[in-house]
Amino acid sequence: MIQKHILKVPIIVFFIILLIFFYLLIIERNPSKIPSALLGSKIPEFEANLLFKNDKFYSSQEFGNEITLVNFFATWCKPCKDEHAYILRFSNEMNLNVIGINYKDKSEKTIKWLKKLGNPYSNIAIDNNGKIAIDWGVYGIPETFVVDKQGIIKYRHVGPVTKKIYNEINLLVSELE
Amino acid sequence: MISTLGNILLWLCLLFSVLQFLSCYKKNNHNTLKVNKVSANGLLGCILLSFFLLIYGHVTSDFSILNVVQNSHTTKPILYKISGVWGNHEGSMLLWILVLAIFNFFISRLYNNKNFIFISKTLQVQAFITIGFIAFTIFTSNPFEKVFPVPENGLGFNPILQDPALAIHPPLLYIGYVGFSAAFSMSAAALKLNIGNSVPWYNYMKPFVLAAWTFLTIGIALGSLWAYYELGWGGWWFWDPVENASFMPWLLGTALLHSLIIVEKRRSLQAWVLLLAILSFLLSVVGTFLVRSGILTSVHTFALDPSRGIYILAFTALLGFYSLALFGSNSKKYFNNNYFSFFSKEGAILINNIFMIIVCSTVFLGTIYPLLIEAVTNNKISVGEPYYNSTVIPILIPAIIVMGVGPVLSWGQQNKLEITKKILPSILITVIFTIIFFSIYRLISPIGVAGITLAFWIISNNLVIFYKKMNRSLGMIISHLGVGLLILGITGSSVWQIEKIINMNTNSEVNINKYKIIFDSVEEIKGPNYLALRGNFLVLDKNKNIITTLKPENRFYPITGSFTSEASIHTNILRDLYVVLGEGSFQTGWTVRLYYNPLVIWIWIGSLIIFLGGIISLNNNLKKVR
Repeated sequence: MIQKHILKVPIIVFFIILLIFFYLLIIERNPSKIPSALLGSKIPEFEANLLFKNDKFYSSQEFGNEITLVNFFATWCKPCKDEHAYILRFSNEMNLNVIGINYKDKSEKTIKWLKKLGNPYSNIAIDNNGKIAIDWGVYGIPETFVVDKQGIIKYRHVGPVTKKIYNEINLLVSELE
Repeated sequence: MISTLGNILLWLCLLFSVLQFLSCYKKNNHNTLKVNKVSANGLLGCILLSFFLLIYGHVTSDFSILNVVQNSHTTKPILYKISGVWGNHEGSMLLWILVLAIFNFFISRLYNNKNFIFISKTLQVQAFITIGFIAFTIFTSNPFEKVFPVPENGLGFNPILQDPALAIHPPLLYIGYVGFSAAFSMSAAALKLNIGNSVPWYNYMKPFVLAAWTFLTIGIALGSLWAYYELGWGGWWFWDPVENASFMPWLLGTALLHSLIIVEKRRSLQAWVLLLAILSFLLSVVGTFLVRSGILTSVHTFALDPSRGIYILAFTALLGFYSLALFGSNSKKYFNNNYFSFFSKEGAILINNIFMIIVCSTVFLGTIYPLLIEAVTNNKISVGEPYYNSTVIPILIPAIIVMGVGPVLSWGQQNKLEITKKILPSILITVIFTIIFFSIYRLISPIGVAGITLAFWIISNNLVIFYKKMNRSLGMIISHLGVGLLILGITGSSVWQIEKIINMNTNSEVNINKYKIIFDSVEEIKGPNYLALRGNFLVLDKNKNIITTLKPENRFYPITGSFTSEASIHTNILRDLYVVLGEGSFQTGWTVRLYYNPLVIWIWIGSLIIFLGGIISLNNNLKKVR
């Protein structure tokens, strides 16, 4: 009799463990929220060439006046195309200042890409060798940061912006304002 | 082109495995046999082709394939272009399926007139597992996905993974994980058909378990070796979740392998073996799930896609419920009430089985405990080395004592006086060895003495067996000797390690143990795909003779934009000297980490010897099956 029940122990234990795993997978436990040492600190300063103007980009001049979104993107990255609609909405509907950082890309391709999909960026800095991305601790493309009026990084998202992330950023921006 | 062909091949693989799955429902035995042979061969052929196709894509830097873009670069050395194929999530799934197909092929070769139904059922379960992984690959992790427009160059490959040991580590480890799938399928088949002893399923299972266990051992050892010289922290085991994920199936596999011997010789413990076979593979899959789903962060977290996590979890659930439910309902036939003596070989094996299960549960608890806490309280905690050291080591000590004496004992009841007579020589040799050891080393600490004594205990027992020409398998003696050497290395390097982390300028010097190390100079060098700063450290012994120059490097890989530090190590059979060049500049000096690691080389020698012993046993067992 006891033996009969003992045989069921493995499947019960297995079931409990699976439940825990399942719970962890579905709860709001975003693995894309990689803790960043930069959160709460000032942006890493950089200068770079601009994509559309024959001029230089100085981060010291661009940040610190208004809430700014920084979006690392590239034309070869498929998820960047997926999130592009949301980046456009940030700039058109939310009137946010969005700075694009074009990661390891060909300028002609980027210009074509933006012509086709629309350009949400107030300025685009070219990051040919990926140095800006290293300084910002970028984990993968695309990646999005929210910088407040004091030039402090308040938020970071790894991966494409989705509806949920879009709402999250909106909420944060209204709080910061 | 490659992409289309690759996709076609993957779909063909899926087709063959579905065919194999369905063929076992056929009533006509002859047809089933034919279909299964065709599908096993077809599956192996197609997956081999698609695997080589992906390698071809990586070698020729075909950037129309997303997988190549994300993991390769034209400047990468050819060896790492190839190893990059399985150094990423999608490619490694392809390798996983390849190994599954190879084992599937070997199972199909076992067919004979008597075992027909059993092998067919085994192949059906195996086909089910294969279907699961192929579908996972095609739908969530397709390595042949295209990218358009085609980029100029790739993103490069994580430089820390560009290493010869890591190039062969995944294939070896996968042979281990996936090898347990064969044991799983056989166990499920034996339970489903309720065949009892009418077919010697344990004889078929043993070579697969041996192969899996042997390759898992060497795979883990290589991963550990890599961590030792690449991560630059002087240690070789960090109780990282991913290490645990490989260690747990290894522990269960060890128990399974030894229990199988009891089944083979005494026909007892059959139900237990069936359960272990199921759990070993389930743990392999759960381990994969843990590190791939991103639930636990580790160096192996490739995928940040939650849908993959859900898929693997669902598949694991399916496998687990099916097999464990079968075990719950059908295992009664495999129980028997043969009690056996504590002082016998089977007694020793059973005791060690229990220890292995306890260690495995402890490690499992430590690995998922942070997850449990997070699920319940939303706090993040981490379980580290102190937990494992204080739980695992005390359990392992008695296990090792039993392991030493087990092979000396005979099957069945034995006279205690006789046993004492048998082990007296090895006790003597152990004492002599230990005294010699400590009279040279003169470093006495309780754990150190315990570890060294245990190591010599294992070694001397096996030497005695060998010398007295007791009738034991050569593979077993060699493997056990390897374990003795492994314990020697583990004890030496963890108990007597000396670590110094200091700031050094060029021309300054430091003493570690009896060596004097002079920081001579720093130079800039250029590698094939990196730039590096290299420090030159002169190592002087007691008599002020220069033994060697250690040249640790601080590398920068421009393509991935990452830094790595290459430790420089001087090895002999007694100790390693280990130097890492850290952050710094000519003005401020450099942070230098130095380690004196006694006996560490015996870890790798021991593992290699275990591997050799495993191969010898495997060879003998294969002869038996044929």
